Amino acid sequence: MPDLLAARAQMGTSLAFHIIFSALGVGLPLLLCIAEGLALFRNDKTWMMLARRWARAAAILFAIGAVSGTILSFELGLLWPTYIKFAGAVVGLPFALEGFAFFLEAIFLGLYLYGWDRLSPRAHWLCSFPIWISGLASAWFIVSANSWMNTPAGFVIKNGKVVDINPIQAMLNPSTPYETIHMILACYVATGFGVAAVYAFGMLRGKRDDYYRKGLMLAMAMGVIAIPLQIISGDANARFLVDAQPAKLAAMEGVFKTEQGAPLEIGGLADPSTGKVIYALEIPRGLSILATFNPNSTIKGLDAFAPADRPNPLPVHTSFDGMVVSGFFALFIALLFWFLYFLKKRTVPTNRLLLLGIVLSGPLSFLAIELGWMVTEFGRQPWVIYGYLRTKDAVTTAPWLNISFLIFTLIYVLLAVALTRLLLGVARSPLPKVEMPGTSQQPEKAGV
Amino acid sequence: MSVALIALSILWFGLIAYAVLGGADFGAGIWNLFAVGPQAKRQTQLINKALGPVWEANHVWLIFLIVGLFSVFPSAFAILSIALFIPLTIALIGIVMRGSAFIFRTYAIDTTAPTTTWWSRVFSTASLATPFFLGAAAAAVASGKIDITNGNVQADPGTAWTTPFALTIGAMAISLCASLAAVYLSVEAHNDHDETLAEMYRLRALIAGAITAVLGALGLLLSQSEAPILWQGLLTRALPVVIATMLIGLATAAALFYRRYSLARILIILETAFLLGSWGLSQYPYIIPPHVTIENAANDPNVIVILLISIGIGMVLILPALYYLFSVFKLPTPAPGVEKKEEHTASEVSQEKSS
Repeated sequence: MPDLLAARAQMGTSLAFHIIFSALGVGLPLLLCIAEGLALFRNDKTWMMLARRWARAAAILFAIGAVSGTILSFELGLLWPTYIKFAGAVVGLPFALEGFAFFLEAIFLGLYLYGWDRLSPRAHWLCSFPIWISGLASAWFIVSANSWMNTPAGFVIKNGKVVDINPIQAMLNPSTPYETIHMILACYVATGFGVAAVYAFGMLRGKRDDYYRKGLMLAMAMGVIAIPLQIISGDANARFLVDAQPAKLAAMEGVFKTEQGAPLEIGGLADPSTGKVIYALEIPRGLSILATFNPNSTIKGLDAFAPADRPNPLPVHTSFDGMVVSGFFALFIALLFWFLYFLKKRTVPTNRLLLLGIVLSGPLSFLAIELGWMVTEFGRQPWVIYGYLRTKDAVTTAPWLNISFLIFTLIYVLLAVALTRLLLGVARSPLPKVEMPGTSQQPEKAGV
Repeated sequence: MSVALIALSILWFGLIAYAVLGGADFGAGIWNLFAVGPQAKRQTQLINKALGPVWEANHVWLIFLIVGLFSVFPSAFAILSIALFIPLTIALIGIVMRGSAFIFRTYAIDTTAPTTTWWSRVFSTASLATPFFLGAAAAAVASGKIDITNGNVQADPGTAWTTPFALTIGAMAISLCASLAAVYLSVEAHNDHDETLAEMYRLRALIAGAITAVLGALGLLLSQSEAPILWQGLLTRALPVVIATMLIGLATAAALFYRRYSLARILIILETAFLLGSWGLSQYPYIIPPHVTIENAANDPNVIVILLISIGIGMVLILPALYYLFSVFKLPTPAPGVEKKEEHTASEVSQEKSS
């Protein structure tokens, strides 16, 4: 494997692995906070059991998230020294701020996970707030750094040197609002449907008690709020690309030739060798309408860019369609769930097909995150900093990148296997016994 | 004083924090290797209890260092990443394996399963290897052997980080981590009224401390020929700090000898701070001697000012939170929100966790 490919493969594998834990790291603390809050204010044991169980899973997931995130921060330098020399100078600020957000998250996570018996119930619950707030902030900061790679801002190149650096402007680059919102919503969507899938699976296996119903309800509530917003945000993202990154949009939609009244290609394979999207469902003028609300507008195709500046549309288009399909599937399932819920006078629906759909929507929502990142990363190629630094010029000169890739891949496989075993063990272990302050023999403590 | 120097001083503070907190986590992993025999279970429980609430936060100092380094000194970070690709990659693997192995063994449903034992060994081995490679990489920087000709840097196959000096410093990093952890664990055991373990870790702290002192002296001797810039600095600018480091080392040993555990904990933190301080001071103004200086590697001063402001805001949020974390789990001082219960013993806590 050539060095560049090995480095890209290692970076891609690392991101694909880490992103799952980051998404849960943003979403799960909010679920914890809500569940524990409900437990305290309604004096409800079931909510407390859910919070306890999720906290145990969170402890494991967050630790893996922390170490896999460390890999990435090292890899920025170890694999892409030229990139980090450039990016570090201009867009180090959001990285630093993300570091602080992560710091707060780790501190309160320690208090939260190990403080059940040390802290008063209210102090313990309060510790969950900084966790989800800083999780949210982390996601915003780190994605703003990625946005900068797509629409670099806040610097000038003079005589081959980066000057006039404005880190705030770099952080608030044009892509930032679009990308950050899209990713944060994705975290809530994936966590919502991911957790819901676990409880739907339990219900399919005949467990119908309060614990399962409440777990499913809260997770689906998160999912149903996030998913419509996510689809609106995705639409805004795509339309933003018309001017900001037309090459990426062309690759996403499989547009080879610049065209007036461009059709929308749904599905199919965008084959760069023939310049055609085969097996696709074509909606005439669809893309022009979607992208600009004008059926006659011109959409730039890949032919508008020099061959050396074109991303490969095959993975980009396919990933894009996969993401969109997963998103709409989750939306459909969420709407169906709540429709049946209110139809049956506020009882959790137990229709087997619906439960099966929820089980499926969990992994699909995570798949959507992975595919979304492939769209944005493959779609930016051949650039690592769009228009300024090519990926091939950013890679390290260090040797043995193949071996490094191999070792890290083995580590990820090992971690994935061990983690799955451990989480299955947690899921199968008996539920924690919970004593509510109100039900204990000291009723005066309930208000503390 | 330039803003770059201020930023570097803050990064050095981060390095000290990582050494005294994260370093002790490595040390605890090393002592886990020695947790055998009839006391094994209690030792493992003590280590789990000591690490559990804080290891993730301790670990973030490393992220702070990396991000700070590439934001303030981007070109130096790029050079180090290429030149020290091999030892840093190995250290990274170690960091990843020990973090995840700790979780896999602590949260294992069946603590006696062979996989749990295996993860426990991975945790120890990685805890041993990581400080060695980090120490060797640091020594490679200090020795001035990182070859930068015409601004071009090559991955160092081992000429800089496998010298006798680098190997000595790597070994010293291990023994320093081990002595930090042994001191902390003796405090924790003492607070848990487990005097057998407190005695055990007190003895281990003394032994590890003595080994650190011997390796430190050896490193100092070797630096004369192998790290001339460092040697020069140590004997001139940093001399008072070097002498203070030695004296604090002796004081730590005395505090341990007289079983003043909490005092020993403060002293060994100071000792580590002075040790790293003497390194920083002696290679000033170089970041990577003899080519890369604070001056020529620093980012645009305006950017550094903005970074310093954000670091200031960040620290205002972090430091009180960090103090709260440690006062809930580690310090005798009362903290708000803590329920007044009878003191937990190590075994009680681990029972709760496994329930």
